[in-house]
Amino acid sequence: MDKLWVVIKREYLERVRSKWFIFTTIFGPVFFAAVTILPAYMTNRGMKNAQVSSIRILDATGTGLGHRVADRLSKRQDDQSPTPGPGGLGGGQVGSRIGAPASGTIASVVEDVNPPKLAMAESLATKDVMNKVDPGYLVLDSATLTKFTARYAGRNASAVGEIQLIETAIQQSLMASRLEGAGIKPERVDSLTKIRVDLASVRLDERGRGDSGIVSFIFGAIVAFMLYMMIMLYGQNVMRSVLEEKMTRVAEVIMASVKPDILLAGKILGVGAVGLTQQIVWVGSAAAFITYGAVMAKAMGMPQMQNMTFPTVPPLLLVSLVLFFILGYILYSAMFAAVGAMVGSQEEVAQAAQPVVLLLIASIIFFQPILLNPSGTLAVAMSIIPFTAPVIMPVRMTTIQVPPLELAASLIALAFTCLITIWAAARIYRIGLLMTGKKPNLKELTRWIKYA
Amino acid sequence: MTELALEIRGISKSYGEYQAVHSLSLAVPKGAVYGLLGPNGAGKTTTIRMIINIIAPDEGTITLMGRPNTDQSSLDRVGYLPEERGLYKKMQVRRVLRFLGQLKGLGAKEADRRIDEWMERFSLKTAEKDWGLAKIDELSRGMQQKVQFIGTLLHDPDIVILDEPFSGLDPINAQALKDTVVDLKKRGKTVIFSTHLMDNAERLCDSVCIIARGNKVLDGTVPGVKAEHGGNNVALALAGGGAELVNRVLSDHKMVERVDDSNRFFEISLQKDADPQALLHRLIEAGANIQRFELVQPSLHQIFLEKVGATGVEVGMTGHG
Repeated sequence: MDKLWVVIKREYLERVRSKWFIFTTIFGPVFFAAVTILPAYMTNRGMKNAQVSSIRILDATGTGLGHRVADRLSKRQDDQSPTPGPGGLGGGQVGSRIGAPASGTIASVVEDVNPPKLAMAESLATKDVMNKVDPGYLVLDSATLTKFTARYAGRNASAVGEIQLIETAIQQSLMASRLEGAGIKPERVDSLTKIRVDLASVRLDERGRGDSGIVSFIFGAIVAFMLYMMIMLYGQNVMRSVLEEKMTRVAEVIMASVKPDILLAGKILGVGAVGLTQQIVWVGSAAAFITYGAVMAKAMGMPQMQNMTFPTVPPLLLVSLVLFFILGYILYSAMFAAVGAMVGSQEEVAQAAQPVVLLLIASIIFFQPILLNPSGTLAVAMSIIPFTAPVIMPVRMTTIQVPPLELAASLIALAFTCLITIWAAARIYRIGLLMTGKKPNLKELTRWIKYA
Repeated sequence: MTELALEIRGISKSYGEYQAVHSLSLAVPKGAVYGLLGPNGAGKTTTIRMIINIIAPDEGTITLMGRPNTDQSSLDRVGYLPEERGLYKKMQVRRVLRFLGQLKGLGAKEADRRIDEWMERFSLKTAEKDWGLAKIDELSRGMQQKVQFIGTLLHDPDIVILDEPFSGLDPINAQALKDTVVDLKKRGKTVIFSTHLMDNAERLCDSVCIIARGNKVLDGTVPGVKAEHGGNNVALALAGGGAELVNRVLSDHKMVERVDDSNRFFEISLQKDADPQALLHRLIEAGANIQRFELVQPSLHQIFLEKVGATGVEVGMTGHG
């Protein structure tokens, strides 16, 4: 057992000390954070730019609709305390709701225009936009009142968030003026029209599966991809390590001191521990990111991240995830180790590893249809087949309640296959390490397994 | 009876149709320097791998210091240097050595102490430069071989097994290796090494075993083996030419069994019943200008050729009749 420990220690420390490990461990989360934060940051920056100078509202309705719209645009959409007064230029307030893109503010200047002079005002505004004086202008005319249409022209006309904000503001303003027309007091109108916006965001929530539906869907995808990546990366790491020992002939020296089974076990456990270390660092930094990320996001002026929470993972799911990772990793790294021991050169190894890689890739190829229909026949079958189970079963478990019988069948099949694979791999490993020359064919391989 | 460091009883090993070792038995007394000789492909490496239990014999038993070699604790007393050498290229020298020492049950502190000792002895650690902090692949080939040798000896093994230790060594490293072997013997260690270089074996070994095609050809102490095959060997050196005349005499197979032209002299094995004096007489008759005519013991090289050549193994290999 002492020797197993010595082998594990070497495998672990040599990797953890390597530049490759330090780089991926640190830059993994940085990269992850970058792909999450950057798009949000860019969107947000885009919005802020729009606030630097105000959009122009050309109001030819003669009903003061423009001021209403400007007022709405200047306020947070879910702000329950309306600030009175038209043409407010307030800004800088931030919204907080995930999935409510129509939050935020846009400053605007209202220009009341006589309908006959609208065309001229419009061409002036166009010039100003082209000369970058204004980011854009909005035209409200009689058609807005009767046909509910309005025109917006601007350099940021393709920014979905802003167009939606403007749309909502017009919609609400129109409704407010109609309600007032129907005799409802202005103070009431504001609160009445606000309710609709809140309802909209509730509806969005209900489209998912309960409160954390979308989050858990994303979580499932992340888990699957992480499992796949980890098994692939670290399984191949074991393979390269075996091949290195074989090619540098160091294997023979080691085998004079420890049994090959212990060397193989130490290698798989040592490399696996490296994988776990990396995951702990990643999950840890993800947790920190989510805990402190809101503060960071706020500091950077991004509202979107504020309510992001780490999905609560039920203990059974967590235990299963770890179990499937460990078993899956052992299964694949044993196969990869056998491949590494079989071949005699770097050139051969990629080709020889292909069957093993394909087995693993199968789980990712079918990952999407399974995520969309996690209780279908394909999903059930692939979550029980031991070679795809380590990725597919956790995916199913994060999205639906997997029947205990299926879970048990999957685990038992996987554990059993693990045992057989380790047994065969150890035998191939023992003989392969000392063999030189050409790669064995299937018949020779069977003989190795039989007579080792 | 002297205590045996290694005893092999009737081991055989086949790979499919190919029989690498055929019921081989041998005994190595404690404290001996023992040579395992044979041409390439004779089964030396297979035998050594069976001794250190990295492959299992199909039949037969092997004991180290009186205990079966499947016993891990007896294997821990063995130091092994394989024929094809190699270490973890990207690993620091000191860490590699510590790892190898710990695999043999050495504590980390003790390993470090001994690493310093050995590194200084092999001048891998000097006042200016400590190669222990370098990575293996930053070392020259000769240095790597030294490191590997340190790795073999770090745990102070009682039995040291070296597979073709001299191959690929420059004269300086070969001398250092020879000195170390002699030193090990002085300290009561047993050294077993394989080689196909007879000169090394002759200079270093107390006892030898010659194997060919997986079979033992002969074994015994070096003086014993020589005495057994000695008596009818002649070293002949000629001053100037006259080789054609001499050649006729030497090619008489009634008298001469084999001639090995070593350039500066001929090493001649006579037939068992042939009289060296008669040969001298005929050479003088033939007009040879003799510079040296000496009855000698055969070299291991000669014995090797005679024995292995006689069994017809790899005639081309030996390069002689």
